[in-house]
Amino acid sequence: MKKRARAMNVFYIPAIILFSVFVIYPLCKGIFLSFTNWNGYSQTYKIVGISNYTRMLTDNNVHRAFINTIIYGVGSTILQNLLGLGLALLLNQKFHGRAVVRTLVYLPVMIAPLIMGYIMYFFFRFNNGALNDVIAIFGREAVDWLADGNRGVTILTLVNSLQFVGISMVIYLAGLQGIPDMYYEAAAIDGVKAGQKFRYITLPLLMPAINSSVTINLIGGLKLFDIIMALTSGGPGYDTHSLSTLVNRTYFGSENAGYASAIGLVSFILIMELSNIVVKAMEKKEVDL
Amino acid sequence: MAEKKKSGLFRWPVILVILLVYCSPFYILTAISFKPATDLSSCWKFSDSPTLENFQTAIEQGGIFAALLHTLLITFVTVFLLVMVGSLAAYPLARNRSKLNIIIKSFILGIMMVPPLSILVPLYSILVDLGGINQYWGIVMILLTFELPQAIFLYTNFIGSIPAALDEAAAIDGCGPIRTFFYIILPQMKSVTASVIILTGIHCWNDYQFSLYILQSSKMRTVTLAISSFFSQTTSNLNAASAAALLAIFPVCLCFLFLQKYFIKGMVDSAVK
Amino acid sequence: MKIKKIIAAGLTVSMVTVLAACGSDKEAAPSGASDSNQGTEASPGNSDSAKEAQKSSSGSDVTITFATNVVGEKASALEAACKKFEEETGYTVDFQAPGESYEELMKTRMSANELPDVFTTHGWSVARYSDYLMPVNDLPWASDIDEQIKPVITDAEGNMFVLPVDMDIAGIVYNVSVLEEAQVDPDEIKTWDDFSAACEKIKAAGKTPVHIGGKDNWTIGQFFDWAAPSYYVTDAANSQADALKNGTFDTATWEKVAGLLDSWVKAGYLNEDSLTADYNSDIQTLADGTTAFCFYGNSAVVDARGVNADAKIGMIPIPAASAKDEPSLIAGEDIAVGVWKDSPVKNEATELLNYLARPEVTKGIAEAAGCKTGITTAQSEIGEIGTYLEKYADVETFPYFDREYLPSGMWDVMCATGADILAQKDGAIENAAKTMEQNFNDKYTN
Repeated sequence: MKKRARAMNVFYIPAIILFSVFVIYPLCKGIFLSFTNWNGYSQTYKIVGISNYTRMLTDNNVHRAFINTIIYGVGSTILQNLLGLGLALLLNQKFHGRAVVRTLVYLPVMIAPLIMGYIMYFFFRFNNGALNDVIAIFGREAVDWLADGNRGVTILTLVNSLQFVGISMVIYLAGLQGIPDMYYEAAAIDGVKAGQKFRYITLPLLMPAINSSVTINLIGGLKLFDIIMALTSGGPGYDTHSLSTLVNRTYFGSENAGYASAIGLVSFILIMELSNIVVKAMEKKEVDL
Repeated sequence: MAEKKKSGLFRWPVILVILLVYCSPFYILTAISFKPATDLSSCWKFSDSPTLENFQTAIEQGGIFAALLHTLLITFVTVFLLVMVGSLAAYPLARNRSKLNIIIKSFILGIMMVPPLSILVPLYSILVDLGGINQYWGIVMILLTFELPQAIFLYTNFIGSIPAALDEAAAIDGCGPIRTFFYIILPQMKSVTASVIILTGIHCWNDYQFSLYILQSSKMRTVTLAISSFFSQTTSNLNAASAAALLAIFPVCLCFLFLQKYFIKGMVDSAVK
Repeated sequence: MKIKKIIAAGLTVSMVTVLAACGSDKEAAPSGASDSNQGTEASPGNSDSAKEAQKSSSGSDVTITFATNVVGEKASALEAACKKFEEETGYTVDFQAPGESYEELMKTRMSANELPDVFTTHGWSVARYSDYLMPVNDLPWASDIDEQIKPVITDAEGNMFVLPVDMDIAGIVYNVSVLEEAQVDPDEIKTWDDFSAACEKIKAAGKTPVHIGGKDNWTIGQFFDWAAPSYYVTDAANSQADALKNGTFDTATWEKVAGLLDSWVKAGYLNEDSLTADYNSDIQTLADGTTAFCFYGNSAVVDARGVNADAKIGMIPIPAASAKDEPSLIAGEDIAVGVWKDSPVKNEATELLNYLARPEVTKGIAEAAGCKTGITTAQSEIGEIGTYLEKYADVETFPYFDREYLPSGMWDVMCATGADILAQKDGAIENAAKTMEQNFNDKYTN
């Protein structure tokens, strides 16, 4: 059987070739570039040691992007899971038009985030923006929604969550439908209240679903890129950049390719670590319950 | 009975809000698409004199149909290769329990988390060396690489649920691993393959980051590129851009409406670990 | 320990690969280019034969890639010219106009040393692209290049690298009706103080004095490119041009420039949504008569006419910082076309350049752009703007500030620090000057 196992390793070859050529090699080169002062296009550069990494410690734009990335990641995860669970509980009941609601909520998942970002610009822009038109009906003055960095981050998190909440919804829906009815029937006989039913039956049995939903949302949120580019381009100033968009801007805008590589690598490590921590914590929780 | 009624009452306002939130983007996009460029009324209002001019501009200047065709081609080829390479790699991953496999598994998980931008430039220069810029195979290779982890995971989970006894039986009958894979494993994977196709297909279809750098020739533009160049031109005509966006999302939405069951199943499959 | 090992390993691997890549560069670059010329079926394998075919170019097999940053009308005019060129020569021109992402794409292509055969340089023919471009001094039309644009496209050794199809002579564009309504005489605006006074009147008349669409970032940088020269270089007596070129950046002067923008924000001269509006809305409001001034060149006039054909748009020179100095104009490349020096189809590409330099071709493109031609053998008819340009023919012109006096890469810094001022962040002015100085020094020594 050992020999057979070794023979099976042949199947890895195409995948491994792809990964080495298009991921590992570029990654190594990226590590090398992060120790240079390359401007991104000239044929010459100097090795500058770790100065790109020390510079990050005092760069407010990086700090801001770092915090934003975590907000995009964690914020979207929390929102999507709460809303997704709510929607799933709602749609797990039988009523007319249930399929319509499910379809509508899941539909945005199909649409490119870039296009969604452009559509959202019609909502949040100042002049002739859809949202300002609505609040004008209530006699409120128009608000320049994206002019404030903090509000911008909130809006981006919200837009991302609402676009992809369908994913969590269907995962939870599948999870709910996998819980055998007899548990609830038994609980009903014992006279258990609805809240307790949820706490002691639904939630523990839903744990695997929560686990995967959280992981998917977290990775998606931490890698947020397209929608930021379309809606705010990272502005005003540097206030709504995520690490991904900051890398793009540092690389092409301010022509600090070496520095951009360093930021890119740090964000890679950050995303990996954060996801690992969360995945581990979720697994532990799953065992506990 | 009373309880049921109460929750029913609660339900409808909530559903109304959901419908409002989720319909409005499509509604506004449609409303803007039919507006003449000079109409500056609120985007909630449909124009009094709706026009098809924007769609004409989108089709003629934006080349939306050509873009749809390019995207379709890229998505189709990428997904086909993904199914091949992904299922192949998943087989030993699901069956063997060696140290190498553990390494490969965590490595694949790591790749899922690489923000592509952090390695963009070295990636670009290697493609230049290989002559893959402005070539369909260039973008196909890159999309294939970065979607592969997802496909491998789906397949690994699925193959894990096929009893290993089947393989052993095949081995006793003298089937090598290759024949076992093609005759025993592959035929059983129809449903998971559907999930892989759908999940990774959406990603390929919606890709923007990679296509932007690899497909520079305007003759090879994909949908997202066509739309973004429409919106970001310094002299952009937002109404025509909206029309282009509407044309671009229409096929996806249609596809989803008809194959909804499979889409949702695919999503759920990918989540089950 | 482990990390060190990994880094060491990574470094070794990347070093080796970098070396390998360098070694193969000369081989790889042209073959990459010819690959991209062959449509979709090409594989690296048959690129060699293609290269051969191109060398012994017998006409029909040659493909020239032409990449440009321009979009809209200008792009259509260029593409039309390329089509005619195709008909005449039997070559194929692969026309690429990626729009906003052009600069990023060109940077990636430069880093890989794989450029389009012919491309436009959007103001950077000398500072950024000169290493990659073929000098054009010996081409037949080189002596016809307009004196106004010549200094902008000539490097220290006297080499020129592009054909300036047209040139961008820019002042501040304004809506004529708005100024009339507010009873502002544009000819009276000589200094920034006059300009601010005019803004006050316009504001009192219920219009937006200055519109900035800051979502696009570059729109904020425009202000600095327009205002900075008047503080730094236009006054011959106090010019800091040499100091800037020698690597000294004066923060106090920059604080004045930034302070000007700040004072306008505080006085309410800017549109309320200056951080989130885009270039489109700049043009829109200029054209429909709600905005008085915009800081763009004459391409904005063409764009505004596209929105509202009846809009009356004028142009004034840029005010001076003090009464002792005179207003000025900015001269820059608009559509400037160069040939990649390592292009595998260099001869054919040069033919295309010569074709574009023909008076009737140049004229057509320049008219589509609404600009004066960059070569004297052709005169474009551009209507009203032409009369303004004639009116200010004697006004001294200066190059774009960031391209000439700042190291490459500063543009983004200007835009970002400007956004902080628009957002009225604490200490934005001092920070702007400090950040500018820091980046200036970093990049200057690079």
